[in-house]
Amino acid sequence: MTLSKDHIGGLVFLALSATYGYYAGHIALLPGDEFEPFHAQSLPNALAILGALLSIVLLLTANRSLSSTLSLTGYDFRLVTQLLVLVVAFALALDWVGFFIATIFFLIGGYWLLGERRIKTLLVASVPFAGGIWFVLTQLLDIYLAPGQLFTHLFGG
Amino acid sequence: MLDGIITGLTTAVMPFNLLMVVVGCFAGTFIGMLPGLGPISAVALMIPITYGLDPSSGIILMAGVYYGAVFGGSTSSILINAPGCASTVVTSFDGYPLAQQKQAGKALALAAYSSFTGGTIGAIVLLFAAPALASVSLSFQSSDYFALMILGLTAVAAFSGKGQVIKALIMTVFGLMIATIGTDVTSGTTRFTFGNVNLIDGISFLLLAMATFALAEVVMTVLKGQHREKEEAMDMSQLGSMKLSKEEILHVAPTIGRSSIFGFLVGVLPGAGATIASFLAYGLERNLASAKEKLKFGKGALRGLAAPESANNAASTGSFVPLLTLGIPGSGTTAIMLGALIAYGIQPGPRLFIDNPDVFWSVIISMYFGNLVLLILNLPLIPYISRLLAIPRPILIPLILFFSVTGVYLVSFNSFDIHMMALITAIAIFLKLLEFPMAPMLLGFILGGLMENNLSRALTISDGSFAFLWERPLTLGIVSVALIVLIIPPLIELLRRSKTKEPLPRGPETSISEGEG
Repeated sequence: MTLSKDHIGGLVFLALSATYGYYAGHIALLPGDEFEPFHAQSLPNALAILGALLSIVLLLTANRSLSSTLSLTGYDFRLVTQLLVLVVAFALALDWVGFFIATIFFLIGGYWLLGERRIKTLLVASVPFAGGIWFVLTQLLDIYLAPGQLFTHLFGG
Repeated sequence: MLDGIITGLTTAVMPFNLLMVVVGCFAGTFIGMLPGLGPISAVALMIPITYGLDPSSGIILMAGVYYGAVFGGSTSSILINAPGCASTVVTSFDGYPLAQQKQAGKALALAAYSSFTGGTIGAIVLLFAAPALASVSLSFQSSDYFALMILGLTAVAAFSGKGQVIKALIMTVFGLMIATIGTDVTSGTTRFTFGNVNLIDGISFLLLAMATFALAEVVMTVLKGQHREKEEAMDMSQLGSMKLSKEEILHVAPTIGRSSIFGFLVGVLPGAGATIASFLAYGLERNLASAKEKLKFGKGALRGLAAPESANNAASTGSFVPLLTLGIPGSGTTAIMLGALIAYGIQPGPRLFIDNPDVFWSVIISMYFGNLVLLILNLPLIPYISRLLAIPRPILIPLILFFSVTGVYLVSFNSFDIHMMALITAIAIFLKLLEFPMAPMLLGFILGGLMENNLSRALTISDGSFAFLWERPLTLGIVSVALIVLIIPPLIELLRRSKTKEPLPRGPETSISEGEG
């Protein structure tokens, strides 16, 4: 039996609904809530059941043709993973080195990953842009951007 | 009503709001021209900017971006046969052949005139239809609202394309599940936070919208390797004249009129959007054409271009009717606007008409201004706006990623949100590869909290009995419509399949699942 996209989706959501239903049973209720017609567990329980039922329907009615199997060829997963890691690194850098430097690193990293190798372009398309955005946010819109923990540790807050 | 119109007009003509319409139309046109990014992504990218504005200006900006993106999508459909969004796919059927015949200028002008007329007729009908519907819906009770939300959710699923109904329903449930994360407003207990303080307030709408529609769309283009493709050059010297002759105008005028009304009516239906309207209007026009004219369709027929263009703009306007009067979005884009309005503390629905007449009327009035801006300013500037597309993709993509990520960060100032964005984007890409539509999830998420509150209230009033679903005629009526909407498409499909004995074919991903308007 071939595993089509519908089968994979159905199985994933069946597992998700089961896990969701399990944790729905762990939601703390206020004393006496169990006698109320509607409480914090009501909707999650209903959703878990509905999700499981729909997943089973999807599994039963799944398209079984060969064209509906999941093909991962031709996709650049490596580059996408690198970009998402860059996004996470940007979040970490925001906390440690502040908005301006984090933005420059993020943009240069992004351009580099997507194939731009000219140093001049990398710098011209990142430093003035980051500076401009920083100026607009802090000076024109009066938004406070934390300088980053590294600078706070080094030079004091 | 006249007082309201004057209030709306006063708000809409404020210089800052006029500027928002112009900026919105330009930004929307540019984003809409980028293949892969449609109105949903364009509007999602604007949310962080609107947080700093007052509600009227914010919604006016979003509405401008919405029209601009639809117009931008038509432009790239005509010039390079690369529709920016699903609702302008039909535009390329006859628009691109016209461009190949060196009549791109004429095609662009006709698209702009049709869009303008479609949008204008839509705005005029909305001017009368919305208040009428709003006054009727003032008598709605919590049970009716619960039923309406069920209708909204099922309609979106039902219109999501052949063979996609179950997947869309699953995604709706998934959205409702995400909405339950955080503190339960009625009891105050936390749900599914796993001890993480960052989740106590739940997942923000902005984060989910940006991750699934802005970040995921851009990352998908990278995944497919489209960032390596060079943008096809638009030879602006071959645009040709932008003028239409008197005969040509007379030839397409009835088409534009019909398609506008038709598009508006389709747009009003919750779940059906600009894509379905444009496909149906094109089909209708083709059926109405004489045998001789039918042959021209697909080879550069003016009627074939005018019909989908007027229909999709009128439908975009029509989709505001359920949003403004019932608080139920008619499409993915209006779902995002609903989320933005809720974030402002404004509850769209019948009370909006009474509590915030300035927002209600200024949105309607500014729609007309938006269409005017597109016609007067955007059309002549197309050659210049399209030059922005010459920015190489390796530069453009990181910039869009940056705006998506910082847009979320600058609202919460919590880097945890960026980590969540990366995670949700990864999940969204996985689901997109499995062909699960995203818009029903967002709709489920937005309506989840409201639905739970109304269900809780209705059940408490009826002492835990579900009899309210069939005891009140209005609720019963709405629930019946929801059931019919849900059951009919699969039934028709089953009947068709049993007649032809063919395996279930996959329909085109429609408005709801992709970048729709």
